[in-house]
Amino acid sequence: MEVTDDVRSIIAQSLKIPVERLTPDTRLDELGAESLDVIEIVFGLEEKFDISIPFKADEGTRVTISGEEMEFSTVSDVANIVQRLLAAKAKTKASG
Amino acid sequence: MNRVVVTGIGVVSPIGSSRDAFWSALVEARSGIGPIEGIPTDLFTTRIAAQVRDFDPSRHFDSKRLALLDRFAQFAVVAARAAVADAQLELTEEMALQAAAIVGNATGGQNSVDDGYYKVYWQKSPRLHPLIIPRLMSNAAVSQVSMDLGIKGPTFTIASACSSGTHAIGQAFQMVRTGQVPIALTGGTEACLTVGTIKCWEALRVLSADTCRPFSKTRSGLVLGEGAAMFVLETREHAMARGAPIYAELLGFGMSADADDITAINPDGAARAMRSALTDAKVNPEDVDYVNAHGTGTALNDKGETAALRIAFGASAEHLAVSSSKGVLGHSLGAAGALEFAATALALHHQTMPPTANFEERDPDCDLDYVPNTARNAPIQNAMSSSFAFGGLNAVLVLGRA
Repeated sequence: MEVTDDVRSIIAQSLKIPVERLTPDTRLDELGAESLDVIEIVFGLEEKFDISIPFKADEGTRVTISGEEMEFSTVSDVANIVQRLLAAKAKTKASG
Repeated sequence: MNRVVVTGIGVVSPIGSSRDAFWSALVEARSGIGPIEGIPTDLFTTRIAAQVRDFDPSRHFDSKRLALLDRFAQFAVVAARAAVADAQLELTEEMALQAAAIVGNATGGQNSVDDGYYKVYWQKSPRLHPLIIPRLMSNAAVSQVSMDLGIKGPTFTIASACSSGTHAIGQAFQMVRTGQVPIALTGGTEACLTVGTIKCWEALRVLSADTCRPFSKTRSGLVLGEGAAMFVLETREHAMARGAPIYAELLGFGMSADADDITAINPDGAARAMRSALTDAKVNPEDVDYVNAHGTGTALNDKGETAALRIAFGASAEHLAVSSSKGVLGHSLGAAGALEFAATALALHHQTMPPTANFEERDPDCDLDYVPNTARNAPIQNAMSSSFAFGGLNAVLVLGRA
């Protein structure tokens, strides 16, 4: 749950809204997040977790991670992506 | 008010540095986009750009002169020399005293900045080359053009990001039109493909990993480019008197600011610049045959620009041919408007519409005629060239057949 909490607080901070407004199903676009807000959220997550999210403005709400397309629409989508990238990072570290 | 014509075109571009090589690649939709060469790419997630290849500065400048010239100034001087030669113009002392040089540029001498900062921060070098400041200042290119050609009239840089080249040409046009100067060297230049600049662009998440597909549903973002285009603008009377070749007549210039989003295009703002250019040109929307679009290949631009064209042209948008040259040229920021002005002037000259390259699939939100992939021979009486910059700064030129 810690990752999800961090994800929620980064999104809330970036959009200047109370964290309580964010449920797992809340969509970023519902919150009025424009493209610059989204890339700031992505940057905030990357800095916080030391990961790289292959997000591109022109790929809409999809992010492709190791060949798999993942949604980037709701709070839980974002948390899933972060968890996926953290797991990959841990694996690289363990094997390296 | 004088009538103003384009009599000389000089280019340095990813698809060649002669007017003819440039035009034939545009018409054949042969893209200058490819793998980045000459700089380390290991830090990048995007490894493509539209670089000017086969440009050997030592062919154009001796070593003493080169020490003063960042790549963006080299491009501008080489293009300016080519424009003067193309116009068959002999700059007399009297003319040079009054002539203007106005160059658009977005980022200054980025190669000098990148090399210099690398030496300081990474190599811990205790000193830098003594001429780094005169190389990197954003007026360096226009100053070098002035020094190279002996131009001594109004000379300055215009910096409005991706509209710089178009704003520069528009300003020069107004000065020749009102008689403030008899002749102007104008255009845009950019050499921004450094490790530092590309990393900054990557951070915006708008760079494509494969290629630039303007107005196509399968678009994947923009591709950075570099280059320069310079022009000789003079009064029609002066050009006719000396028997100069005339590519096109400059008819109108329109500008606006969105006062809205820092990066997203605002269709109303863009349309106001188009309408203002048409009014200035005294050209009705239905009398425009061809638009060379800003067309960056991002969803935000392509959809917003299509909406803007619909607002500005109303019902006549249905009959309008619109193409973007960025699938071929990439996006060279401050040079983009100038290279695209060259494309538009040459389209009028050859009566041929260059196509939108890399077009794959129609986008329901982009429902105009984008001249996909294949050039079109069609009568062009009037044409438009548009630039919409980050910061919401819009500049639009209207040209007519010579």
